[in-house]
Amino acid sequence: MAMGTLITAAVVLAGLNTLLLLPLVGVWIRNYNTFGTGLVGGLVLFAVAMLAENAMAIYFFFSMASFYSGDPGVQKVVLILRGLQFVAIAALSYTTLR
Amino acid sequence: MEKALWYLLTATRGGANRARIIDALTERPQNANELADELDVGYKTIRHHMEQLEEHDIVESGEESYAKLYFLTDRFDKYRETFEDITEQMDT
Repeated sequence: MAMGTLITAAVVLAGLNTLLLLPLVGVWIRNYNTFGTGLVGGLVLFAVAMLAENAMAIYFFFSMASFYSGDPGVQKVVLILRGLQFVAIAALSYTTLR
Repeated sequence: MEKALWYLLTATRGGANRARIIDALTERPQNANELADELDVGYKTIRHHMEQLEEHDIVESGEESYAKLYFLTDRFDKYRETFEDITEQMDT
């Protein structure tokens, strides 16, 4: 069942993204409290937005509500976007946490 | 340099400690052991921060391999105002 595989892969990626984003949000909120500067405030907003999107996707997947259309083409695009998000977040994690 | 400072201090996990290291070196050049004692941070952690700060040309170190001293670079001094802006709200 190709369609199911696509959406499952996208959810696995959403899970990975969520796991990576949690420590990032933690670090940036702490630093925002320390420095209170606009730059790190922006990073917090960015990470929280991405976290919300990924957490939402997982929630909808397991609650079986159809968040994305059942169309495989759309799911493929979602999967690719998730993959890009994952690469971006992983790169940010590396520079932020080391 | 300006962007590197913003990023290194406010966006990374060790940012607050890096800012404290710069503050400590403003007083006088020190070696990693002295910094670890003064800031109550592990020696290994200090060494890691120094690597990062050296990479971005914020500090430089003497030649000797034992207890080498770290100094703030002349280039950093040109951006001291940026540093002050960044750390303005920090309670040290």
